[in-house]
Amino acid sequence: MSVLEAHNVTVRFGGLVAVENVSFAVEKGQIYAVIGPNGAGKTTLFNAVTGIYAPSEGRVEFAGREQFAPLTAAVLMRFAFAFMAVAIGVVVGINGETLWQAAIVDNYAFLKPFPWSTAAVSWWSTMWSLPLSHTALPFLVGGSVGLGAAMVSWWRRRRSPDFIARCGVARTFQNIRLFNELSLVQNVLVGMDYRMKTGFLSALLRLRRFHTERRACQAQAVQLLDFVGLADRADHAAGSLPYGFRRRLEIARALAGKPAVILLDEPAAGMNPSEVGSLMALIRRVRDAGTTVVLIEHHMRLVMGVSDRILVLQYGRQIAHGTPAEIRANPKCVEAYLGSEDHG
Amino acid sequence: MRWRPGPAFIILAAAACVPLLDQLLPAPLHVSEAVRGIFVYAILALGLNVVTGYAGILNLGIAAFMAIGAYTFGILTCEIYPFQLGFWSAIALTIPFGALAGFVLGAPTLGLRGDYLAIVTLGFGEIVQDVLKNLEVVTKGTQGINPLAAPVFGGHQWTSQDEYKWYYLMLAILVLVVIAIGNLERSRLGRAWFSIREDEIASRSMGIRVERAKMIAFSTAAAIAALAGGLSASILSSTGEPGNYDFQISVLALCIVIVGGIGNIAGVLVGALVMVGMNSIVLVKATAWMASQGIGSQGNVLLAPNNWKYLIFGLALVLAVRLKPNGLLPPRIARTRS
Repeated sequence: MSVLEAHNVTVRFGGLVAVENVSFAVEKGQIYAVIGPNGAGKTTLFNAVTGIYAPSEGRVEFAGREQFAPLTAAVLMRFAFAFMAVAIGVVVGINGETLWQAAIVDNYAFLKPFPWSTAAVSWWSTMWSLPLSHTALPFLVGGSVGLGAAMVSWWRRRRSPDFIARCGVARTFQNIRLFNELSLVQNVLVGMDYRMKTGFLSALLRLRRFHTERRACQAQAVQLLDFVGLADRADHAAGSLPYGFRRRLEIARALAGKPAVILLDEPAAGMNPSEVGSLMALIRRVRDAGTTVVLIEHHMRLVMGVSDRILVLQYGRQIAHGTPAEIRANPKCVEAYLGSEDHG
Repeated sequence: MRWRPGPAFIILAAAACVPLLDQLLPAPLHVSEAVRGIFVYAILALGLNVVTGYAGILNLGIAAFMAIGAYTFGILTCEIYPFQLGFWSAIALTIPFGALAGFVLGAPTLGLRGDYLAIVTLGFGEIVQDVLKNLEVVTKGTQGINPLAAPVFGGHQWTSQDEYKWYYLMLAILVLVVIAIGNLERSRLGRAWFSIREDEIASRSMGIRVERAKMIAFSTAAAIAALAGGLSASILSSTGEPGNYDFQISVLALCIVIVGGIGNIAGVLVGALVMVGMNSIVLVKATAWMASQGIGSQGNVLLAPNNWKYLIFGLALVLAVRLKPNGLLPPRIARTRS
């Protein structure tokens, strides 16, 4: 079964077509490589898959379904809340002074007990005596604006990167994006965040479940650091790590959410041959632990060594697709990478 | 894990000894009343630290939330209004009301990036002042609201004479705020804030709900600033006029955070001590001393140290940014395993 499928994905930036009509399907347990010359659109394809860009055309499916944040009861509540909040806010803004005068000021005599029921009655009658242009009209107009804004912001965020991550698609970045001032453990814990349950109040009051969860998560984070070989530096700042280790930490952070698929964007960039060797071993271990791997890579030894399937892009189009042996034998791919023989 | 007192608690413990010091020194050297004022600004700056220091959102309108807190407290307690709550229940209502105000401003604007959001908060600060000035029926315009409730403790109504009681009350509330913010900082939420400050795109791609985390930071900051406003109104027994909560207060809070150490609770406490202490202790005492010695003259404003405060704020900020860009007490780079 495919865990990740792209159907005819096109990404345009104005007139520039960065990715054109690319389709692929990644099977569970595969190591799938996307290769191509610089500027072929590989990272753009990743960004379209992970929600940083919306595909201009085409669909991306995880586990056989196109993933959008669902319209749940909580979202509908939010719409209703936005409507009421802005509607009431506008009406109070327009009439607040009048109503305050009628209800509070006119009924209050200094040092006498305040007649709350009279105040409520005068508030109520004043409100109904106001012209509709001061009440119903602003209520409806304001409410519509609030509702519209809430709906638009929900619509625009319904395929946001955080939602895609929560669907089980994690990634690393070509230009490493770690949280440099946080420790290694904390970087991994950020990746684990959406699996955590405790909220604001348990953190504020340090309830028992806060401590339980914290201990469990820290243990898992250290385990993950051990998995990528960084456990001995768990409390160092991420910014102090040497380059090769930063990529490993990014992988640990991406794995922390227990994703079904992990997308690695040029994991071997800037690594020396021995580091590439241990990275290959790490990628295999990630796959063996049950996570499907999709990677962008230029490093041919790594790609040919670990991949089950390879997709070749050039100028945003897919020019070939197949096993490493097929790709190696495909003249178009050789040309894309090495230049055609005509040019000598 | 065994609890060890951090630098913040050492500073607070030292603050607890100030009234004892006052007992030993002659009256002109008493500082506890001024230190009480420092506590209020420390609470305000701790609120700003949550949004600006942790989540990395520049908020230039924190004084507006202080004003909202002060006026909420005023309207709820003053005897010219029918509500007339006591100190404790009014403070308890001021905090959620501040959070609500933060939510109302944050909900439509937190999607804005960096500078644009800073401009929105700056504008909000001005709007709140104007609204308070012009909504005379409700807020009494530029008169301010007074007198306001003082705490009742064990059936005993405090007055402004109960100097040390006020001192320890403010200190106790400051300690609670420090504990609360420390608890949030060392939690899942604090970590999410730091990650957003460091790299918003990476944070989002790791599944952090950025809008939500920012909103919580913004509302928490507004709630704490409102608390500071309510407390300061209560100490003065007046909200003062709306102009008291102007841009200079927001900038002072920002200076405290930057000079002290952005994103570090102990740093913010030190910042409040340095910035507000300079203003309300050193300059005031120096002015009094010079007057008693006959140095300087009433005619020349430049010869009264009282008038140097903005000069000193400016200098402190320039020096801090030049010499200690991370503040006097910067946060530890690698935090512990929290």
